[in-house]
Amino acid sequence: MTGAQVNSGANSGVKSGADPGRRWLARPGFIGGLVVLLCLLLLLAVGVGSSWLSPDRVLRALVGAGERMDQVIVQTLRLPRALLAAQAGVCLALAGALLQRATRNPLASPSVVGVVDGAAVGVVLFLWLFSNEANALTVSIHFQPLAAAAGAVVFAAIVGLLTWLDDGGPMRLIIYGVAIAALASAIVTLLIILGPVFRASQALIWLAGSVHQAHWDDVVSLAILLTMSLPFLALMPRVMDQFLLDDDTAATTGLAVGATRALLLLIAVYLTASAVSFVGGIAFVGLIAPHVARLILGQNAAPYLIGSALIGAIIVLASDIVARLILAPLELPTGAVTALIGAPYFLYILIQRGRSHA
Amino acid sequence: MFNRDRDRRGALTIAGLLVGLALLMLASLHLGLRHYAPWQVFDAVFANGQGTDALIIRTLRLPRTFNALAVGAALAVSGLLMQSTTRNPLAAPGVLGVNAGAALAVVVGLSAFGIASLSALAGLAAFGAMAATALVFGITLSAGASFSPVHVLLAGVTVAALLASFTQILLVTDESTMEALLFWLAGGFADRPLILLAIAAPFMAIAFLAVMPMTRALDALMTDDASAQALGVPVVRIRLTALGLAAILAGLSVSVAGPVAFIGLIAPHIARRLGVRGHAQLVPAAALVGAMLAVAADILARYLVSPGEAPVGAVLALIGVPVLIALLRSRRMGLQRR
Repeated sequence: MTGAQVNSGANSGVKSGADPGRRWLARPGFIGGLVVLLCLLLLLAVGVGSSWLSPDRVLRALVGAGERMDQVIVQTLRLPRALLAAQAGVCLALAGALLQRATRNPLASPSVVGVVDGAAVGVVLFLWLFSNEANALTVSIHFQPLAAAAGAVVFAAIVGLLTWLDDGGPMRLIIYGVAIAALASAIVTLLIILGPVFRASQALIWLAGSVHQAHWDDVVSLAILLTMSLPFLALMPRVMDQFLLDDDTAATTGLAVGATRALLLLIAVYLTASAVSFVGGIAFVGLIAPHVARLILGQNAAPYLIGSALIGAIIVLASDIVARLILAPLELPTGAVTALIGAPYFLYILIQRGRSHA
Repeated sequence: MFNRDRDRRGALTIAGLLVGLALLMLASLHLGLRHYAPWQVFDAVFANGQGTDALIIRTLRLPRTFNALAVGAALAVSGLLMQSTTRNPLAAPGVLGVNAGAALAVVVGLSAFGIASLSALAGLAAFGAMAATALVFGITLSAGASFSPVHVLLAGVTVAALLASFTQILLVTDESTMEALLFWLAGGFADRPLILLAIAAPFMAIAFLAVMPMTRALDALMTDDASAQALGVPVVRIRLTALGLAAILAGLSVSVAGPVAFIGLIAPHIARRLGVRGHAQLVPAAALVGAMLAVAADILARYLVSPGEAPVGAVLALIGVPVLIALLRSRRMGLQRR
């Protein structure tokens, strides 16, 4: 079950067929467009807020010129927030893309497989265990992501173990995920009710998914976590293309199907846990971004992954801008906005699939 | 001959369940933070005894026991109806966004209209629960007949997420509703005013009685729509009536006890496992199993975080998820096809 085995399986695999890279070159326009859109959104995200900064002031503040006040707003408040949102979007979208391909199920997404609720258990447990009577934390808040990651990994492992013990196919993963997520959210409810109300509201804010407390530390940490996954992701496109075939055919192309699927799922859990530990339960990004990427860029893994990542970043960044503006000066949880967009889209996919099978 | 044998076994099972439920209810009166002797309970319930102990038994233990009884039975029948009419072993009120709908309605009532009376909120919760159920089944039915059990489950989870995001937005705009909402989200049988049960119980009884004449039609519906039609069953009407009754029962339960998950999902499966076949017996058997689960969970809730009180919904999830996973693993839920 090691990565080396998987890779040797992949390298001895298909030589024929369309080179993923070449067809990807036919679509640089879309990818370039997405990059431009993302940059514009970043400028906008840094510009809008309680005080409006025009793009030229934003750019000047970014390079360290301009008014001192602008620099503070841009560099310590808005830029980390925008960067964290974009990175979280990248992580969640990539996780969703890997999950959907590994399970061959377009309905799979990070929030469905128990990872998000598991992370919530970790965070609530952390807030509960390390609070003193005065409602103050006895340890640094910077340990919270660690607690979230631990919870996410534990619950994902339970879901993975159940699915592995029961070889009933990819759909099983989702059912077990929903069941275990229900268990996790029951535990969260239990802990929230038993704990102090102040902590409860703090936990609920985190659960809703928010980037408003973004800090440069968080941005750097998440960037490191994301970078560490890149070498693995770079190895994935070929095996992911083999996964377009059904299991038996993929096996005849030399793919170690079970081991590869396990590896893809593992990377997906890692990426989700990384994002969720910093921004909480931002739902439906991991579901929608791969869908949109597939629609405009096709099935080949390399553009599919890059497109998913860019679209994920765009969705979360745009949702965060909406969340800040729509009820200003109040701020909505970013996750609530993504759910408002994502849930109807998901239901639409469900209905479409239901009809097409009729 | 065979049928009569089966009916007799089913009747025996139901009798056994009745005895079990009676024992559990007795236990519920005796057990808790303070344990009472049988004579104390008898004194309080039948002899109108005075004193603190009698007061505790009569005004706290007795109401919560009856709350659990009624809500457990209603949820179980609601789940059975949903499972039978959709031929979907995973359908159940808790799974299908009922609780999220109720929570949203309560928050809207609290923050937008400033409603504070508990019975008005209970009514709102019931309405929200029914609306969410209608939404999920509307989506399911609009997608056509081949909608698989897993898809219904996902639709329910998604609608729940959508409603929860509305709830979150309202909570952001009005933080004062947080405390009231936390109480509501807890779900439980204790500390609920008896008036809620007094209002809901007659409607529950009516819904329950309305189900009984439909049992033969439900049996026929379990085969497939065409066969049921051939047997003279008005398929669409029966399905809509049954789902409507299921939504009403779920809504009434939510209004009495808040969100109480998993009873509706697992009670019908346990009843089937006990060898009960045919809806004429399955309906009462599932109701009894549901009531037993609720009373047992309520007793457990008093001990789990003693001296505090655990929310019953969470206790039931802790019991229900392992049972659900065992059911899934045993592959009797008819899911192996997809």
